[in-house]
Parts: sequence; C-alpha cells; structure tokens
Amino acid sequence: METRLVDLLAEYFPDAEHIEITGFEPIPGGYSRETFRFDAHVRTATGIEEHPLILRKDPPEAISILQTSREVEHGLIEALRLHTNIPISRSLGHEMNRERFGEPAMVIQRMPGNSQTSDLFHDGPDAHQADDVMRHLCEVLVELHTTDVSTIDPHGRLADPRHEGVDASSWDAYIDSTIEYYIRSFPTINYDPSIISVLDLFLTLRREKPRPLPLALVHGDFNPANFLYEGGRVTALIDWENSRIGDPREDLGWMTTMDILSNSNVMAHPVDEGGFLAYYNELTGFEITQDEVDYFTLFGTANIAVPVQAAIKRRVDGESTEFMHLYLAQSAGGTLPNLLRLLNYPGVPQ
Amino acid sequence: MLEGVLISISCDIIPNLVNPKAHASAQMMQSIIQGIRQLLPVYDQYVAEEHNQMMEVLRNVAGAIDGSSGDAADRIRERATTLGAGDEVPIPLDREVVMATHRELGLALQATMIDLDELQRAGDADADAGLEIVRGHMGPRLVRDVQTFLVGDALLGRG
Repeated sequence: METRLVDLLAEYFPDAEHIEITGFEPIPGGYSRETFRFDAHVRTATGIEEHPLILRKDPPEAISILQTSREVEHGLIEALRLHTNIPISRSLGHEMNRERFGEPAMVIQRMPGNSQTSDLFHDGPDAHQADDVMRHLCEVLVELHTTDVSTIDPHGRLADPRHEGVDASSWDAYIDSTIEYYIRSFPTINYDPSIISVLDLFLTLRREKPRPLPLALVHGDFNPANFLYEGGRVTALIDWENSRIGDPREDLGWMTTMDILSNSNVMAHPVDEGGFLAYYNELTGFEITQDEVDYFTLFGTANIAVPVQAAIKRRVDGESTEFMHLYLAQSAGGTLPNLLRLLNYPGVPQ
Repeated sequence: MLEGVLISISCDIIPNLVNPKAHASAQMMQSIIQGIRQLLPVYDQYVAEEHNQMMEVLRNVAGAIDGSSGDAADRIRERATTLGAGDEVPIPLDREVVMATHRELGLALQATMIDLDELQRAGDADADAGLEIVRGHMGPRLVRDVQTFLVGDALLGRG
C-alpha cells in the first residue's frame, strides 16, 4: 500500500525528486471509511517538505455503510476551502481507480488539533475550553449553513448524493422525497420486527412536517467526533462524506442525537449564550424552536438509520461478515430511548 | 464461559495489540459479549411475555378503531381475529414455536402501524388511539431491551 501511495503522491507533488512515507498506521473511529495517518517527506530541488497526511479509503462495497463518492467529497472540500473560512483540511486529490488501493480513495491534509473531543466534557482535561470551542463550532456551522449553495455545488452533485430520488428543488420537495426514500427503504433495514419504532419514525415524519426554512449545505454527520480543536478554537471540521443539500436543522438534530450516543454535551454550550441552539438562532435569526430541533433529530436519525440498519441487516442475513456491523446493532440501541421519547411513546421516561 | 472469553480478551489479547483499530475492535467484542451475558437470563421470558402482549395489542387496536371503515380498518380487524385470537403461550415455553409466532405477531404490528398511518392521513381520529396502543406496548418493551443489552455509555473507538 505504501509503495502505491508514494506513486499517487508523485502526481500531487510533480516537482518531487523523492518521496518517503513514515508513520503509516490506521486511525480508529470513522465507522464508514478506512483512514490511515502518515507523514510524507517530499524532497525537491529546493529542500525537504514535511506533509502530515491522511489516506481516506472506501471499504469493500459489500461492507460499506454509506455509498458515497470520494470524488464528490474532494470537490466539496476544495470548494469550501477556497470559498469559505470554515476550518477544513486540504484535499490533495482522489483516486477512483480501484486498481491502486482496491477501492476508491483520497488523500487529505492532517490538521492540527485534538480529536479526542471527549476531553472537553465531564471534567475532562480541556473542559475549561468547552464554551470557546463550541462557540466557534457554532459560528463555523452558521457559515456553512449561510454559504451560497451555488458557489459550493455549482453542478448540483450534492442535491441527491445517494442517488435515491431526493428532489432538492424546494423545501417541500426535499422533505417529501427524502421521507419517501426512508419509507421505501424500510424492507432493506427490517431485520427484526422490533424495528417497528423506525417504521413509526418514518411515518410520523411524513405526518408532522414543520415550517420550511431555506435549504442549505448541511454537513450531514455533524457530531462530537467530527471536529478537532486547539486553544479554544475549532481547527477542522472533518468527515464530509454525508454532506448534501438539506435543511439546516438536520445538523442541529443530529448533534443532539450524537450528544446522547457519545456521552458528550455540545448542545449545552456556550453556556453564556444559553446553549448551542440559542447562539445559532442569535447568529442566523432563524428562530428555530426546540420542537423543530426535535423533529430534525428524528429526521437526521432516519437519515443515518437507513444506511446503518441496512448494513446491520446485510450482516444478519449473512451477506457480509463485518464484525463492526454487529456492534452497531448493539450500540445504535443507545439512541432508541430518545427516539421513543420524541415520538411520545407512553411509558418511556421523558 | 462468556465471562472467561471476556477475561481472555482483556488479559491475553488487548495488552498485545499495538494497532489502535484492532484495540477498538476488541473492546467492541467485549461490549457485545457482555450485552449477551445480560440478555441471556431473561430472553425467553421476555419473548413469551411479549408474545401474549402483542396478541392483546392487536385486539385492542381493533377495538379502538371499531367505528372506522375502509380497507385499512378491515385489515386491522382481520389481524385481531386471527393472530390476535390465538392461544397465549405458557411460561416456560416451547421455544421454536413461540419464536416463530412471536416474529409473526411482531410483523403484524408493523403492518398494523402502516394501516393506522393510512387511516390517520385520511383524518380518522380513532387511528390516533390505535397508534397509542401500539406505542404503549412497544415503548416500555424497547426501553427494557436497550437497558438489558446496552453496555457502556458511549460509542467505542471514537473521539
């Protein structure tokens, strides 16, 4: 792999006389892509450059949870880097030819900062930074949600990146077609009758649509594990593979869900601004209510539940042997009490 | 036996892993095994109880939409008089038979929920009450499943 990686890097550094890779090792986490950190030492006529990098590679298709394109992700990252102030890695390039790494891959800059965001919570060593980091994180999210979509996605590739018939031509069309995609997908995730609560979720979303907001570019997996920080600032927002055109409240709802699953507390900060939602509303003027966040907590849960539960079903049905999909069947249960609470199930603690 | 596997993973495998991804995978394995240890002692009893309760739910939903008409309402009544009218299972149970009917009843509740949604979207208020009955059965049951099977308080292998 490392030899082939050097060959690829030679394309990105055409002036290189010699390239050496050190410290190549896998990075844990990142449930959907295989990621490897390494340092590239690039010798040119003028000296040696040091590049901290990450190889981000698709898993084999049979065990992949999200079928997304590294080419689209590369284009998005570079557009955001060039047209916004959002802290984001540079993407050096993508390799869609499977002959090189077995599956499509991309190479991105490894950003500075602490990725162990659990250090910010529950009396962790960086708990004193939590307010400042989350204030900046909120400002970054607001910039993402208020950036002109046509600047970032001029060819409309983020309108329906899963190719599921989602229609982002208007808010109503987007919500209706996305929910239809969820409902249509139910047979592909229904590995046990107890999945009835997910069916209930999809049907309830269709019956109880909230007011519209302008569609925006959403991160799509805005969660406590997908940013780095240092010195009270976010140094990078990472993992853009599920990004798409959507309702900005989806990111707020998904963070709410992942706060529960990750045992973190992003949404409570910055405390002096009344929490993440209050600060977001102050910056955007969207006046998003908690009920709306609750709806999009469910909507965002559905958006991730479809590919995750489908991967679990493929594992249960014996179509794959991926161990982690079994673990997801267990760990995804952590979201269930909150889902039932938001659906107002009797007998579930509020 | 499962406890022995957990100890072996902790003592024999994890200390020798230098790859962080393999380390996270070993922790996930421990989490699943611990979940199964918690689930095993109560699983058969849960299945039998749920079986009998789902039959009752099917009958109660049909009662709630007693005044409703149309294909969806007819399908709900049909389930109540077939699946919902079978024999309750004794505890302890004949495992294979009960597992099959438990699954059949569970799928019947899913089908009932789809029919209730059809009635609700047509403005039938009785269907709201029917959905409450299904949710009232599933809510405490699912929370119990989660409490029994879940291990730890955060996703492993992430920041």
